Amino acid sequence: MIYLDSAATTLQKPAAVARSSAWAINHLASPGRGGHRPAMAAADTAFACREAAARLFHLDDPEQVVFTFNATHGLNIAIKTLARPGSRVVISGYEHNAVTRPLHALEADIRVARSPLFDQGAALDAFRRELDRGADLAVCTHVSNVFGFILPVEDIAALCRERGVPLIIDASQSAGCLPLDFTALGAAFLAMPGHKGLYGPQGTGLLLCGIDPTPLLEGGTGSESKRQSMPDFLPDRLEAGTHNIAGVAGLLEGLRFVERRGVSAIAAQESKLIQRMGDELRAIPGVEVFQARNPAVQAGVLSFRLKNTDCENLGEQLGSRGIALRAGLHCAPLAHETAGTLETGTLRASVSAFNTSREIDQFLHVLRPLCTPG
Amino acid sequence: MLYYLIVCRSLTYAQRTAAALERAGITARILRSPKSIAGEGCSHSVKISQRNLPDSLRILRRVGLTPKRIYITAGDGSYQEVAL
Repeated sequence: MIYLDSAATTLQKPAAVARSSAWAINHLASPGRGGHRPAMAAADTAFACREAAARLFHLDDPEQVVFTFNATHGLNIAIKTLARPGSRVVISGYEHNAVTRPLHALEADIRVARSPLFDQGAALDAFRRELDRGADLAVCTHVSNVFGFILPVEDIAALCRERGVPLIIDASQSAGCLPLDFTALGAAFLAMPGHKGLYGPQGTGLLLCGIDPTPLLEGGTGSESKRQSMPDFLPDRLEAGTHNIAGVAGLLEGLRFVERRGVSAIAAQESKLIQRMGDELRAIPGVEVFQARNPAVQAGVLSFRLKNTDCENLGEQLGSRGIALRAGLHCAPLAHETAGTLETGTLRASVSAFNTSREIDQFLHVLRPLCTPG
Repeated sequence: MLYYLIVCRSLTYAQRTAAALERAGITARILRSPKSIAGEGCSHSVKISQRNLPDSLRILRRVGLTPKRIYITAGDGSYQEVAL
């Protein structure tokens, strides 16, 4: 099988990830829930994971690194800390339902900073315009999960800082794939999954906290147990209940892999693969490719569609021939609306550090006959 | 042997504290705080030997870590809070 769905979950992981998770199931207990060896060993693993994340995302304090179950969990904490009914919230035109659904549920006043695909300057202008209308909060994805468009989050963060507007960044498609400096960004929160570019197991995620958060869940934390309110310090304030320590153990190995390989090297490799794929796809008659002219504004995600062909049907045919990619709306109808693909959806191919150019060739070899009329 | 317990607000804080001390060459062990000194309920402490307290406090101050409270063991096994 050729796996090209890393924007959903990376399937090929460093071998140490599965090994460490499996080992943890039988050897690590609950951090903070006992002074015995398995509990303390679990605590050591959790702390090592927080420290590795702090290094990767340039935080001084590993207490600001909170374990979540996925990026959606982290985004819900962040959004529900900062948004209230009627809050004026500026978002990009490329947000995932993990952002838009919580905002709709809160009945926030959502203001979409719309901009054309792969135009960073226009994206920045749109944010500036909407922020200047008055805003209580901004939420921006770093990379569109549909199109791979890299939004200029550093510049958007600067706009927000200048105006005193808190910013939440969705790093679902960029964590581990693009450099991210949380301290320099000065964002309120940055949410990410552990199971995509960080190569951890499903059921893991990280939320980096720049401000005091409001807990989404209340419960036991192994600290200040006499109090009936949640601790006022991180990470305990957001980590009620038993940790997914097997997941955390795997995530730690994923982070170590990214650290060893280097984010810039991973970014360069993924960009090269996607550019090659895009160039080849464009040569196939009837295929419309959503590819940036400037490779620097597209990460390892690429969408395409075939004229007069249902994307789900084509995805199904590819799947039956051993090509794993994703068709449809990718839980991001807003992004499709922005790009004009809401009615058709797209096929999305996304790569990881484990894909090779040979795999791209094999994918194209399978795809070409399916695109031939008749 | 007499030793000090540096009570920390959280397990992660205790881990940061112990890591800072270990980096400076001071042996530091994390343990659950004894019930009698745990304050608001469960907490974690960092155990250091008696002779290392002044150096430990200096190091923690330098890296910006603040102990919640510090206790010294008494001969009868009880703990006495140390004024900082």
